[in-house]
Amino acid sequence: MSFAQADVCIIGSGAGGGPVALTLARAGFKVVVLEKGHLYKTEEFVHDEILNSRRNFFMPYPWEEPHLIRHREQDPFERSNAGWLANCVGGGTVHMSGYFYRLKPVDFRMKTLLGAPAGSEVVDWPIDYEDLSAYYDEAEAELGVSGLAQAHPWAEPRRRPFPMPPLDEHPIAAEIDRVCKQLGLHSLTTARGIASQDYQGRNGCAYCALCGSYGCEVDAKSGAHVALIPKALATGNLDLRPRSMVKSIEVDSKGLAKSVVYLDANAETQTQPAKVVVVSATAIESARILLNSQSGKYPNGLSNNHGQVGRHLHFSSFGEGRAHFRVSARKEKWPWLSHHAPFVQRSVQDFYVAKGQPFKKAGTLNFVWTHPNPIFAAQHIAGEGKDGVFGKAYKDKLREYRDSKILQFETYAEYLPNPKSYMDVDPGTLDKYGIPVARISAVRHPHDYAMSRWLTDRGQEILAALEPETLERRADNGTTTILQGGTCRFGNDPATSVLDKNCRSHEVKNLWVVDGSFMPTSGGVTPTLSIVANGFRVGHELVRTLRKA
Amino acid sequence: MSSEGLEPGCCGRRVFLQRLTFLGGGVLLFGPACNADRKPVPAPPKIGGVTALAKSTGHRTFTDEDYAVMVAAVDRILPRDEDPGALDADVPVYVDSVLQTPELRQMRVDFVDGLAILQKRARGTYAKPFTDLAPEDQDTLLTQFKDAKEGSGEAQFYTNLLTLTLEGFLGDPAYGGNKNRAGWALVGFDTYVPNDYQPLPAPPGAPLVKLKTGAP
Repeated sequence: MSFAQADVCIIGSGAGGGPVALTLARAGFKVVVLEKGHLYKTEEFVHDEILNSRRNFFMPYPWEEPHLIRHREQDPFERSNAGWLANCVGGGTVHMSGYFYRLKPVDFRMKTLLGAPAGSEVVDWPIDYEDLSAYYDEAEAELGVSGLAQAHPWAEPRRRPFPMPPLDEHPIAAEIDRVCKQLGLHSLTTARGIASQDYQGRNGCAYCALCGSYGCEVDAKSGAHVALIPKALATGNLDLRPRSMVKSIEVDSKGLAKSVVYLDANAETQTQPAKVVVVSATAIESARILLNSQSGKYPNGLSNNHGQVGRHLHFSSFGEGRAHFRVSARKEKWPWLSHHAPFVQRSVQDFYVAKGQPFKKAGTLNFVWTHPNPIFAAQHIAGEGKDGVFGKAYKDKLREYRDSKILQFETYAEYLPNPKSYMDVDPGTLDKYGIPVARISAVRHPHDYAMSRWLTDRGQEILAALEPETLERRADNGTTTILQGGTCRFGNDPATSVLDKNCRSHEVKNLWVVDGSFMPTSGGVTPTLSIVANGFRVGHELVRTLRKA
Repeated sequence: MSSEGLEPGCCGRRVFLQRLTFLGGGVLLFGPACNADRKPVPAPPKIGGVTALAKSTGHRTFTDEDYAVMVAAVDRILPRDEDPGALDADVPVYVDSVLQTPELRQMRVDFVDGLAILQKRARGTYAKPFTDLAPEDQDTLLTQFKDAKEGSGEAQFYTNLLTLTLEGFLGDPAYGGNKNRAGWALVGFDTYVPNDYQPLPAPPGAPLVKLKTGAP
């Protein structure tokens, strides 16, 4: 069946779709949001590792809805669930950990200020930090962000304090501050997308420790599903349709987007006509929808007559180190070590730009307690192959783990866009809906490995200064595929970008893309807050555009 | 499952699992079903709402023989010592029930096949069923599976055995395992907000960063 024409049809209800839906609905426009996943109620978010982390509650099974991915050109593509974010109302903001950094002015002018390394596709953004600054304020206020504005060498300018004070932090934070000071570094309080006190009818954090990978049981986590979508629904202008899997966007004879075709919860094909279509299904899935929307006007996919959709794909460079502190051995020295406070709340950004290094730009070190998921932890402790253990020896290791507090850092760092990092769709591999799936080539620029080793070294130095019983270097060449962008980058030239500076398609004037796709470069932080801020920016621009029309 | 995002060098293939710690410890470890286009596995035949198997054995997934081998194997992964082991935590109850999950059909087939191979290996090597072997001999066989070539059926069976044992030992008790939260007690985990949680004072606030830009 076909519905009445909406003013705007938004595909996706997460970090990008949420703020656009809210802004348009408040301005009085009739908005339809098509969300692939379920609408979960807060009481469905339970502390069940098997459900949340090991089944398809959030992410689809790779045998039902695979992504095909390879990390080296010579490797075959393999089926994986890498690159998926949560499939539900709120998207990735539901199961996020909520590390809410802002990008820094240098991220918008990387080519001009630091140069584009040979073999990379680094470009300046078509907007500046200043163009996004007020929308960061708006995003922080609407979502509810807790933090502390501190002066430090890489502090981004901000006009307003954080809406809420920081979350409680574990006493280990003071030790990190102490050693960072010794090392001449500036440890910062990590801003979080978690309410530290009751906020706009939501509860403050209950400090339950199961945060990332889980939906919040008390609505303290500042996801789109609790902080944006309910406000949009309250206007009466939003028609939210969960379990709506979009197949394609159809165009009219002029080449404008006409309607969105999707499968509803009963696998019935539906058509939603709209004056404007906004795509926000994650960088990978949004590009997949465009590439699967082929027509006479756009034989290679919607808005892809210049062959730019799916290119410039970037993720985040990953390194990790771990410091193991034995609780029983430190009873005297650190009696507070076993305190339950789940948050460390410290980041280091002194290495955001790498002076005197060939790679120029690195990123952020974030210090956290290791995730308490016990099955996941025990799997690692068991080891693999000839290094693997079972039986009594294994139980001894599990008891040692019980007696440990494990502090880790993880990096969010530049992933240089390059011609070998891209995605397309594989017509020969269909998901359970019969739709061709995304095929991802995540091949890195050589600088990324050198940078990641260097940044991991810096993190290891901080951990070593804490004099742990054991220091473990876990990774220095990884890729964080849940932090993704670049497949529909914005820019001023239609030959080298998909979107204009307002995230409106160069080719299809009533098509906009608002998830991480627009970002030409990854930045050295997690992108979530920036996607929300950009969503508000684009939302206000859309309101102006629609009012003119 | 394949490594992710790694060039050969530091840290090895386990980093794939660690990658997901960013989100907080999530990983699917049902490898073979991801990489091969296999024929769909039929649902088990049912009689009056329960599987034929359940009617005759009391188990939902296993024959009596397979069940006994599975029990013996999980007991060697996490034996009872000064702390409870897999059997104390009802791990077999979990394994028998979770393999009825429709989405895990492929894993069920692989796992049951693996038990048969383990049994065959026991008979071939020691001329006895796996359940009758001395614990050291059981460990020798399990070690052979553990150390088998990556991607082999033996290695995959061992991974599935370990995965299922850990899910049954450390998963939510609602699934039938982790009886009396014995698994969580061993690793020092619980899901609830600890009663003794005392909020800590926030750190003294540093001065706000000076405004570097004009009003919007």
